[in-house]
Amino acid sequence: MFSWLLNAASVKRILPWGMSESLQTRLRVVGHVDQLQNLSKKGTILLVPTHLSNIDSLLIGYVIHTMMLPPFAYGAGLNLFTNPILSYCMSRLGAYTVDRQKNSPLYKTALKNYSTTMLKHGIHSIFFPAGGRVRSGAIESHLKLGLLGTALEAQLERLQEGHPNPNIYVVPMVMNYHFVFEASSLIEDYLAASGKHRYMPADQAEDLFLANMIKFFWKLFSTHSELWVRVGQPMDVFGNFVDEEGRSLGPNGSTIDPKSWLTSNGELKAVPQRDREYTKMLGEKISQRYHAENVVLSSHLVAFSFFQALRRQYPTLDLFRFLRLSHSQRVVQNDCFYAEAERCFEVIKKAADQGKIHLSETLRCGDVKIWVEDGVRQLGLFHDAKVVKFSDGVITTEDMNLLYYYRNRLTGYGFGKLGESSQKHNFFGETDEKGFLV
Amino acid sequence: MKKDFWSESNVVVLGGGSFGTVLASLAARNAGSVTMYMRNEEQARAINSTRTNPNYSKDVVLSEKIRAITTFEKVFELKPKLVIFALPSTATRDVAKTIARHFKGDEIVLHATKGIEEHSLKRISMVLAEELPVVRIGAISGPNLAGELARNEPAATVVASPFDDVIHAGEKVLTTDRFRVYTAHDLVGVEWGGTLKNIFAIASGILESSGFGWNTRSLLLSRGLAEMVRFGLAMGAQSETFLGLSGMGDLIATCSSNQSRNYRVGFQLAKGMPLDVILSSLGQVAEGVRTTRIVYEFAQERGVEMPITETVYRILKGEWSVEQGVRHLMTRPQVQDDWA
Repeated sequence: MFSWLLNAASVKRILPWGMSESLQTRLRVVGHVDQLQNLSKKGTILLVPTHLSNIDSLLIGYVIHTMMLPPFAYGAGLNLFTNPILSYCMSRLGAYTVDRQKNSPLYKTALKNYSTTMLKHGIHSIFFPAGGRVRSGAIESHLKLGLLGTALEAQLERLQEGHPNPNIYVVPMVMNYHFVFEASSLIEDYLAASGKHRYMPADQAEDLFLANMIKFFWKLFSTHSELWVRVGQPMDVFGNFVDEEGRSLGPNGSTIDPKSWLTSNGELKAVPQRDREYTKMLGEKISQRYHAENVVLSSHLVAFSFFQALRRQYPTLDLFRFLRLSHSQRVVQNDCFYAEAERCFEVIKKAADQGKIHLSETLRCGDVKIWVEDGVRQLGLFHDAKVVKFSDGVITTEDMNLLYYYRNRLTGYGFGKLGESSQKHNFFGETDEKGFLV
Repeated sequence: MKKDFWSESNVVVLGGGSFGTVLASLAARNAGSVTMYMRNEEQARAINSTRTNPNYSKDVVLSEKIRAITTFEKVFELKPKLVIFALPSTATRDVAKTIARHFKGDEIVLHATKGIEEHSLKRISMVLAEELPVVRIGAISGPNLAGELARNEPAATVVASPFDDVIHAGEKVLTTDRFRVYTAHDLVGVEWGGTLKNIFAIASGILESSGFGWNTRSLLLSRGLAEMVRFGLAMGAQSETFLGLSGMGDLIATCSSNQSRNYRVGFQLAKGMPLDVILSSLGQVAEGVRTTRIVYEFAQERGVEMPITETVYRILKGEWSVEQGVRHLMTRPQVQDDWA
């Protein structure tokens, strides 16, 4: 029944000649890759990536391939199947269609059952737990728990059947790009939804997916841009970390037998209320790990620093008035910008030292001139409007929305607060009193 | 579910204080056996031989099903299915750390501590979740003055947890024909309710000692409740929870009874006794003194308006006299009588 999935062709075959080699040099796969490889032999993997772009679905197949893992089954949006060429690729990558327009309970249940059945049969799977692409550009903070709950369901059924390798391992994965081709329409969506009547979206043509995709890869290969994929620390279906052997780790050096957490009143059985709470915990943990596994790229930090410096000039404006600043108002003197850039770097470096976020190689060198130059160049590669631009001793932007979008990748940590912020537990998805994501 | 699951299971109560003893007594009616952990060997020996707890509630005869022990190794001998923490908030984390490795994972954990962890401001259930390899954790809270429960007077409590498994365990193990268990999913609200009311218990003792009557006391209770709700909302609790047994219920009991330790602290403070003398003569933990400082500092930082808490804080610190405190509260700008 699943043979077509298991026999899915390797990605190399479907990529044009030479492309796979150069993709390898553009792609940075970091994090817990070895552990993921080991665990794929000890149990079933559920990979849960962040979702920025339609490119994700294509890249994931390739990332799996470079990690020398067998093909994974995954749900991808219907729009990726409308083009015959892409559709062919997607099916070979192990993808099945998910139509997010369909809201009927029957359709959702069928999808969930499909996922549970695959995991139960030990087929490694992938889905985007946030549902669609994240609109704001930030790290996902609200996850869809319905589909996520299939992991626990499958684990329980495997335990009940006495399977020798019953464990499902949940592995978060954070993907970062210097540019996202749908950025303009995504941030429009976000602003329209969060601003309600305050925001009038501009008329925009639908994304020309194929054309944009070709442009994306062309830019990626023809310039020195790069993609970052960070494999997070693997967890069990409750959100506990697992060790190299796949054992769930509890606090104070204890290990947890997943069976005991699924036992109620002495019986190993499904308890819907309990299992929903476990899945809620898993969702929170994944979101937490997304933030911790996020890799700051030079482009993010440039957008973030410039946005922050500009906001200091207009501290009383709320988000929607701020985004409507005229071209002549969106100007920051170079020395102010660099001072802000150094300040932001220090804050983020401190967070990175505490394991709350990661830095790309360019940022790890720490030289502000180098990373700012790199970031400005990267931001300028894809969009027609310049997201940041230096001219005559000042830095400016041609597109406030895009600037907000790229800057948002560093929100959820409280870095975006204008004043000093106290150490609260987290800021996932939170906005300040002016409506800015922090 | 096996029909007689709890009647065959072992329940552990950690802590040999007055409320711990009461909880062990209640559990002994429904559970297969009860193991009580306490540090004091003499006390444990007395319980096992004379069937009474010499330090508290001497008149209560303890069930044969209760066994007192003094080493952590023995706590898990009978594979308990429910572990109840009845310890001061300062001791909870260390004890949890020490016994963590003995847990199997299928245990239900409840705690009866009405306090929070200093510095971190973490609720006790959060502390337990951080230290133990279990997550089915909940709290027991309500107007439960140990002395009255020991005399078997009719009373009720709230067992709260996000997990129904925990709530059901609490219901099954603690319910008797004189003790009702109400349930709640808002663990945050229930834990903060039990914690915050101690501040107003101190204030209530101060008022009683100053000779004020019911008008003043009712004023304290109503506006104290408003402060509790305001703070609770800031911590993510639901406002309705504070109207229940674990909020208003506990507030009334603690603020009206001279059995309450925090009330006694306030009472003696207003008589002019220094705080350290009162605390050392009490012989028991008065969580409210620490709570007042922690909550006041946090409310300041977050901008949550808590005038009564501030007054109690300043009187405890010796900065204000009772008269100054009363004047401060009575001359504040007029506000609406609600929680906003």
